[in-house]
Amino acid sequence: MSNKKILIVDDDPDVRQGMNLRLRANQYETFFAADALSVVVEARKHEPDLIILDLGLPAGDGFVVMERLKAIPSLAVIPVIVVSARDARANQERAVKAGAKAFLQKPVDNAQLLAVIRQALGEPAQPADQGSL
Amino acid sequence: MKERALQVLLVEDNAGDARLLREMFSKERAESFELTHLLRMSEAVTHLAKGGVDIVLLDMGLPDGHGLDTVRRAHAAAPGVPVIVLTGLDDEALAAEAMKEGAQDYLIKGQIENRALPRALRHAIERHRMQTETDLIRTNQIQFKDEFLSHVSHELRSPLTAIYQFVTILLDKLAGELNMEQHEYLEIVLRNVKQLQSMIDDLVEVTRVQAGKLMIEPQCTSVSDAIVYTVNTLQGAATAKGITLSSVMGHRLPSVCADPTRIRQILIILVDNAIKFTPANGAVKVQARILNEKPNLLVVEVSDSGCGISTDMTERVFERLYQVTDNGQAGRKGLGLGLYICKELVTRQGGHIWVTSSPQQGSIFSFTLPVFSLAHLISPLLKNEEWPADSVALVTVEIRSPDGWLSKETREEWSRDTRSLLQRCVLPDLDVLLPKMESGGSGELFQVVAFADEKGVAVLTKRIREQFQRLNHCKESGLIFSTSYRLLKRAPTNASAPREDLADEMAARIEDLIKSESLERTVRS
Repeated sequence: MSNKKILIVDDDPDVRQGMNLRLRANQYETFFAADALSVVVEARKHEPDLIILDLGLPAGDGFVVMERLKAIPSLAVIPVIVVSARDARANQERAVKAGAKAFLQKPVDNAQLLAVIRQALGEPAQPADQGSL
Repeated sequence: MKERALQVLLVEDNAGDARLLREMFSKERAESFELTHLLRMSEAVTHLAKGGVDIVLLDMGLPDGHGLDTVRRAHAAAPGVPVIVLTGLDDEALAAEAMKEGAQDYLIKGQIENRALPRALRHAIERHRMQTETDLIRTNQIQFKDEFLSHVSHELRSPLTAIYQFVTILLDKLAGELNMEQHEYLEIVLRNVKQLQSMIDDLVEVTRVQAGKLMIEPQCTSVSDAIVYTVNTLQGAATAKGITLSSVMGHRLPSVCADPTRIRQILIILVDNAIKFTPANGAVKVQARILNEKPNLLVVEVSDSGCGISTDMTERVFERLYQVTDNGQAGRKGLGLGLYICKELVTRQGGHIWVTSSPQQGSIFSFTLPVFSLAHLISPLLKNEEWPADSVALVTVEIRSPDGWLSKETREEWSRDTRSLLQRCVLPDLDVLLPKMESGGSGELFQVVAFADEKGVAVLTKRIREQFQRLNHCKESGLIFSTSYRLLKRAPTNASAPREDLADEMAARIEDLIKSESLERTVRS
């Protein structure tokens, strides 16, 4: 049982809710931010173990968010996984260089998403993750 | 408004020819042309580089420049300036070649009428201006299309994400139990989501192909693995349609030099198409074998017992946006991009793709890939008459991430960076950076065959290490980097042995070394 805390950053409410249901079904505790400005606030408030970050956000994009997080020592250590609809080839390299642990292209296969989350959190892989479709 | 005089540069070493041309210009209004006359190509290049010239009249036989070379040099010095070449009567063929090199026109000396010269100049300039404009419009159009497609695919992926998320939430019963019928219908939704997703991927891929941005990373890889992967991936789809999907692999199939991801991509498109156009109880078969007539090529065939293609269409199916007109057989439609992408992918990897078919007889799609040959790779090095050393080294460079690779993408990115770094470190006439030979478990392996002795290897590894340390993000991410090498004494040369035999023998010994290296690595880890 995990109970680790994940901050979901996405401006699309449907995607946030979908991600929320999937992660909660896998015993993660979830928090949300819908724009670039509130990420730092929410991260300070909830001290998440991991941040799932969209790139296209209101009030500054995902790259701006990663820079802000890097500038704050207590938040700089939180692993970030970028999940974006933007073209992988153009953004993946940039995201990884900006400090992201991984770049995943939307729509992300559930099993792949969970595997990457577990790896970033240092949790053992689970073959029977909820969502092997 | 007064027109600016056209700046004409005449490059001509023959005094008589130059005088004739000058006279022609002198009959024009003085303010319409301004002629500069130079005798040498080198002077012309300097003059052109300064700018301000509107058109060049260029003799193709100069003391320091001859034939097409003069046209190329003029273009290189001033890329936007139109060139008219001057040729002799018997040189029209050369003049035609010059036009292919980008000259706007040619004039035959001794046949130029007085009034024709200024007209030819004005026409050439105007033609050149129109051409430049058309090129610019085309570039803009391509760029617009790229941006448009990239935008559209991004916007399509977002809602598709939500659909995928909630369909899978329902299917995984996270929102409660489902009856059989509901489950079945949701599976249909999911299948179509995936179809839509692959169409968006195709769109992006085609944009990339056309913008010349398609990335292909050839390595020494097994076609059999790609076939097994494809058959496993699509077995479900085939079974669901009542189609037998099988594969036949030739005995001892050699490795090919190609990008494994791209081979899988090609095979998925071909097998998926074959299943799509084959009715129930039909069969789809994937085969790989060596081409008898060309043993340096491996051929892969995807055959089906489907509706077939009429002979006049066998070329057209590879065109972009081509779709079969009779859709009765195909259950679902695509964008008509799959085979076009296949053709691009095969061609860019040095292969060839074709189809043989007749209606109601099924189709066979075949493509070739170059067989991997170490001997072929190192044989150019053996052409060196004098080797600086009597030994050959196998240098192994390994990079590994301290906390494991978080994603396939990071690993691939690092692998790409390292490969281009190594490419800069090796000496092209002495060393060969081998394509990826195996996927080393926790690290990424790169191997260089270096024609060097102990000292030479030390210099090479030092160079590699220094380059690697300069990569800033390498320090930040704490990437672990190591080099090692094995020396191979050169066998006593048999002077009478043909060079191919030597290459084969060396290749065999190096291959043995690579095998024993990988064996050691397995034992160690």
